Amino acid sequence: MRRLIALALGSFCNLWGQAGPYERQEVDNAAAAQGRQIYTQFCINCHGGLAKGTEQGPDLIRSPLVLRDRLGDQVGPALKKLANHKSDLTQAQVRDLTHFLKDQVEATAKNRNPVTPPNVLTGNLEAGRAYFNGTGKCNMCHSPTGDLAGVGSKYNPLDLQQRFLFPRRSKPLQVTVTPSGGQAVAGSLEHIDDFSVALRDASGQYRAFSRNKNVKVDINDPLTTHVQMLDSYTDQDMHNVVRYLESLK
Amino acid sequence: MRVLVFMLLAVNAFAQTSFPEAWPSYNGDTSGRRYSPLTKINQSNINSLSLAWVYRVNPGRAPQAGGGNVNTTIKGTPVVMNGVLYTTIPDHVWAIDARTGSVIWHHVWTSKGGWHIGNRGVAVLRETVYVETPDCNLVALNTKDGKEKWHTQICDLEQFYYASVAPIIVKNHVITGVSGDDLDIPGYIESHDPDTGALQWRWYAHPEPGTPEAKTWPSVEAMLHGGGMTWVPSTYDPDLNLLYFGTGNPQPVIAGQGREGSNLYAECIIALNPDTGKLAWYFQPSPHDTHDWDAVQTPVLFDGEINGQRRKLLAQASRNGWFFVLDRATGQHILTSEFVKTNWTLGIDAKGQPIPNPAKQPKVDGALVTPNQGGAINWPSPSFNPETGLFYANAARAWSVYYLYDTDDKPEGWGGNDRNGFSEAMVQAIDYKTGKIRWTHKWPGNGGGVRSGLLSTAGKLLFGGDPNSNFVALDPATGDPLWHAALHTVVSNGPITYELDGVQYVVVGAGDTLYGFAMRVK
Repeated sequence: MRRLIALALGSFCNLWGQAGPYERQEVDNAAAAQGRQIYTQFCINCHGGLAKGTEQGPDLIRSPLVLRDRLGDQVGPALKKLANHKSDLTQAQVRDLTHFLKDQVEATAKNRNPVTPPNVLTGNLEAGRAYFNGTGKCNMCHSPTGDLAGVGSKYNPLDLQQRFLFPRRSKPLQVTVTPSGGQAVAGSLEHIDDFSVALRDASGQYRAFSRNKNVKVDINDPLTTHVQMLDSYTDQDMHNVVRYLESLK
Repeated sequence: MRVLVFMLLAVNAFAQTSFPEAWPSYNGDTSGRRYSPLTKINQSNINSLSLAWVYRVNPGRAPQAGGGNVNTTIKGTPVVMNGVLYTTIPDHVWAIDARTGSVIWHHVWTSKGGWHIGNRGVAVLRETVYVETPDCNLVALNTKDGKEKWHTQICDLEQFYYASVAPIIVKNHVITGVSGDDLDIPGYIESHDPDTGALQWRWYAHPEPGTPEAKTWPSVEAMLHGGGMTWVPSTYDPDLNLLYFGTGNPQPVIAGQGREGSNLYAECIIALNPDTGKLAWYFQPSPHDTHDWDAVQTPVLFDGEINGQRRKLLAQASRNGWFFVLDRATGQHILTSEFVKTNWTLGIDAKGQPIPNPAKQPKVDGALVTPNQGGAINWPSPSFNPETGLFYANAARAWSVYYLYDTDDKPEGWGGNDRNGFSEAMVQAIDYKTGKIRWTHKWPGNGGGVRSGLLSTAGKLLFGGDPNSNFVALDPATGDPLWHAALHTVVSNGPITYELDGVQYVVVGAGDTLYGFAMRVK
């Protein structure tokens, strides 16, 4: 049964027919705009406003026939052959229609990237303020009139949400390395792995050390608290705090 | 002692596929354990391991089909047969002398396009090398000179499929998988005749309409466009004659409101009869996934003791952060546990499958989720060591925010995505009997998911890459670092080992370069 279904689908979709040209049809925006008018006039009632199909007609974005089409070479004959379709479109009109359909396909294939940023300002400002000064203990390190003054103007809400959750490092990590029997050396961390650690000290000198159990390495990461707090935020906390930060214009 | 006996039996379960002088397929043997019995390189001499050869792939100046610069990152695991090592990038296969790194031949496929995101490698059977191409072909090459014997289409480029998987040889079958998730297309796996390429069977990653499993979709139309790609090579148990693989995310990827239900057989571990393509059983690690957490990670096969009984087991560390142990004969669930902390479930159901928390599905204003889209683990291979009884995963604790962009009742494509986040990389050693983490080795320095597979050996070594471009050997019992070599970039594939003329080699890929290390024991 499985094989029969596969073969039936293959036949219906012309899966193994001749291959189309190497490149996909490049969408001509002007032609797609013309094609949209044709689609709206003759196709929309059955195939839907976004060409995703209705109970009266199939999804055209998922249609192998449309996907395999090049400038109407598949769609044109299909329109003439299928019942209740507009069979007297000119070749130019069919070509415009395919530009519209290909535009819909390309937009769908790329819709992991938003056309407009999502609205993340759904939280409660006062609840966000309360969290900032209470449960979240954000005010232990941050101030709305200090480091966060004007932050609501500096970043759009989406970036604000991201920066609140995952703050970027504004200056290098500070590290202190104490070799066995030696003096502690402090500076900005340049590199660390299981086998070596390197820093640049206050004079700008690069210093590197092999790591072993006798070499002590202390890293002071001010973002540690932020990372730990990811386990405690609720999504509502997140939305409320973003709403509060956005108000700090 | 009794445990030791069972563990040694575990080694013997795949003894017929032992491979001291070769690395015959993607995972070495068909078990997916990536465990080698070789011992010439071991804890006592690892610091004498030396670089024997380096090979940098050179695809030439031809432009890459589909646009962009040629992707030269070696993501495939090399195969070694008869002293020849085969390595790939999309559209390219090289045969290399496994002793010296010298090129024997280079095959270039003239491509019609498709995603050139990576290639997982080749399969070799007798005098033929098999490789998949981004433009949806299975190509057979002559081992002698790399000349094409035949090619056959295995997917439809026009529907935005592409092919990247390393084929697997099972008896007289060449098993192929397919890739692609831009549009809502069904995943499947195929078997081809090794001599002619003729299709033997195809199994779609969705139920047949009218079956009880089909009710896990709101409509036949949604089900037939429901994804479930087969991105990662299969494993195989010759005694049970069962083929095992995972299926990828359902479609649409992120916006799941048009496909209510658990969405079988997307996000499943699947067992098939390789002669017929008939389904034996399934288990779903991520019911109704909306986070792109393909459950394709290698289903690793080994025998072990569970509650005093010897069992034929299958284990997977899944991209969603959960570890599963199943009876591989029946699919019966044995154990479910987190291998990194997650926040997206409401618990475990009676079948041992995580129950997704609707609150952590993507939202217009964002949902904070761990793991992120990259996952707690991705395609890089894990390893199981029968001596320690530990399952090793190059894992990540990672966070991001998932957004829903398409709120339509019938979204298509992705309809959302995740963004940014925090990530911490580590090796997790998991006790398969308890699901508990025996040890964790956090990689210092740069965070982010590591794209290195793992290899464990009877030399009491666990090889893998860290995020700092080191190729590292850890103690498999403790996770302590024992040895490293600083490469020019991060490890990008799964390391392998083989022995030729009494010399044991370890080969690893980093970016466009293969590094061959050797131990010459007198």
